[in-house]
Amino acid sequence: MNKRHLFLALSLFCFGFWTWTSAQESSSPPVEEKQIEESPDLTAEFSLLQEEVKKLRLAEEEESAKAATPVRIQIPSIAVDTAIEQVGVLDNGQMGVPTDEDQVGWFEPGVKPGSKGNAVVAGHVDSKTGPAVFYELDQLKAGDDVAIIDENGNTLTFRVTKTESYDTSNAPIEEIFGATSHRNLNLITCSGTFGDGGYDQRFVVYTELVDSEMNTEVELDAPTNVTLSGNLLTWHAVRDDAVIGYRVYEVIAGDATRIESVPSHARKSVEVTNEQATYYVTAIDRLGNESSPSETTK
Amino acid sequence: MKKKTMNKIVAPALALGLLVPINAQAADHAPTASTPAGDLRATLDQLLSEHYVLAVTSMMKAYDGAPDAEVAMKALDQNALDMTPAIASIYGDEGAAQFEDIFAGHNDYSADFVEAAKSDDKELRAEAEAEVDEFVEEFSTFLDAATEGNLPKDAAADVLELHEDQVLSVFDNYVAGDYESAYMTYREGYKLMFDISKALSGAIVTQMPDKFDTPADTPAVELRSTLNSLAGEHFALAAIGMQKGYDKAEDFDYVSWAEDQNTLDFKAAIASVYGDEGAAQFEKVWNGNHITAQGDIVAATLEGDEAKIEEARMKLDQFAVDFSTFLDAATEGNLPQAAGQEAIMQHEALVLQTFDQYVAGDADAAWMSFREGYAFMFGVGETLGNAIVTQMPDKFAETTMPEEMPETGLGGAQTQSMNTLYAGLAVLGGILLAFVTLRNRKESVQ
Repeated sequence: MNKRHLFLALSLFCFGFWTWTSAQESSSPPVEEKQIEESPDLTAEFSLLQEEVKKLRLAEEEESAKAATPVRIQIPSIAVDTAIEQVGVLDNGQMGVPTDEDQVGWFEPGVKPGSKGNAVVAGHVDSKTGPAVFYELDQLKAGDDVAIIDENGNTLTFRVTKTESYDTSNAPIEEIFGATSHRNLNLITCSGTFGDGGYDQRFVVYTELVDSEMNTEVELDAPTNVTLSGNLLTWHAVRDDAVIGYRVYEVIAGDATRIESVPSHARKSVEVTNEQATYYVTAIDRLGNESSPSETTK
Repeated sequence: MKKKTMNKIVAPALALGLLVPINAQAADHAPTASTPAGDLRATLDQLLSEHYVLAVTSMMKAYDGAPDAEVAMKALDQNALDMTPAIASIYGDEGAAQFEDIFAGHNDYSADFVEAAKSDDKELRAEAEAEVDEFVEEFSTFLDAATEGNLPKDAAADVLELHEDQVLSVFDNYVAGDYESAYMTYREGYKLMFDISKALSGAIVTQMPDKFDTPADTPAVELRSTLNSLAGEHFALAAIGMQKGYDKAEDFDYVSWAEDQNTLDFKAAIASVYGDEGAAQFEKVWNGNHITAQGDIVAATLEGDEAKIEEARMKLDQFAVDFSTFLDAATEGNLPQAAGQEAIMQHEALVLQTFDQYVAGDADAAWMSFREGYAFMFGVGETLGNAIVTQMPDKFAETTMPEEMPETGLGGAQTQSMNTLYAGLAVLGGILLAFVTLRNRKESVQ
């Protein structure tokens, strides 16, 4: 599904200037934007009721409305200061690329920079004739700043956390495009060796939002009264409208494994089987924030 | 119509009793929970505790403006009317009519409390409180007179006042959103009804020794009452909890909490008979495919997940097998597996029926099923209680005890030392012995 398409998107965006001839590609259905905007994680993990899903969408919309459309990117350490175009998904399933090789493309179906999640921008490393906007992207290192200026004139500062180079076929799509509770901005360009199929590697710069009112973490109370009696683990609900469910973790020899996700409309109890294990519970809100662990049983 | 309802409700409780062959109980002097006094207490246990459950629940529903609030109130009124025949069987029709006048009327105040809370009307609240005081005064006077002082007015008034306080406290905490306090008090208030039943049945039994040849508090009858209390509370919390879950009510989790506390009390009762290991086994069986399965049915109904509902229902069937097997083994066959399974399945069917009718919006049927399901639990104490009593007759042996200490002195030794008292007794004994010996000799001579 969309994971596959994202993979294709990532592997293809550098080929914008070259002709793609693969027959299989033309038969691929187009990526539906919706699938990317949703948090498939939460709705699948908790059997959410329709009204909860609605509230979840609303919360997500509110959340993303806080961030505005990015219009400009500035990376002082490599002297980048350029306009941002919006790119989407092409009819044949490819992620679009900036039409201007000196500009950067923001993947518009994804989240906006500053929102919770992985916002993605891509830029060309070169054109047919020479270096392009992200030619020196591989010079970035952890601690460097990337600034995004949005349509309202606000500047958001992101800080590089790490950079990675991947074989085109082995890039961790989930890590780059998938859902996260952090406010990330990931920058992509091509790297490696240019051959028949284009460049054989992708270079990714991971950054995280710093110093903004947006990244104040929501304080979510941990569940209380977590007790294990016989084989029944119970806890008291966190009385917060934003809570959509609970995760139950089993701890064996210090290793915690999530064993169950319980939606907020269900009974707050789980039958457990391992008599040697201890257990704790966390609360999850509509935006996927997870509370700190409750006290551990026993 | 009234009569018909009553019959319908009483029938299942009797049916459960009939499921189990009364074998060893027939033996002479063997302890049993099935005595006239035990039956009286069980009837009062059921009606008084149901009164409490319905009073508290209907007040919450009325406050919420729930669509079935009126029907729940009607169920409360019907419960009051069901007490009349029970009272009539003891105090005759006239006494019963007097009882009905006082008792049935007091349910009206609950509507005033709800209205006062809704409109924040302090005057109405004060009025309703004054009416409650009046009821306590009237009813305690009635009880004193009816039992000919065996339930003294002051004692009756104290316990009635406590009951009214608890009902109001549950309601007030509910209104304030303090659900933890609400359900803690709910449980206390529920248990108090069994104390009231014990005091009242004890007073009646003492008053009418011809009708009741054994006390209302023999160990076997105590066990019966304890099991009835636990089973009845389980049903009430399961049924009400499922409704709260379906309504996504704010206090749903607290009903679940109360339900789990009830499980722990049940476990403690089992431990007192079968030890900790047996109690641990009980808890596993009880929670596994039972408490959690009922929760699953609520969640799956909200999710519209038919397959999950079916799966949970099958878990409940499995519970009936597992729990009856446990009871058969624990009681060493005194509660046979097949009979236990059938009774448990009937209970689960009543829980689900109450829920399904509620979900379908048929409040009349749902509350009828609730009352039927509640009454059904009061066969549990007798059936399971007798199985345990038969299995362990020594533990439930009724030692015959006089009501008063013997008069073993005539007062003549008051001023003398203890030694002389004993000497005197020894002399007296000697004389008696001599007398008896003489008599015997005389007889044998003749």
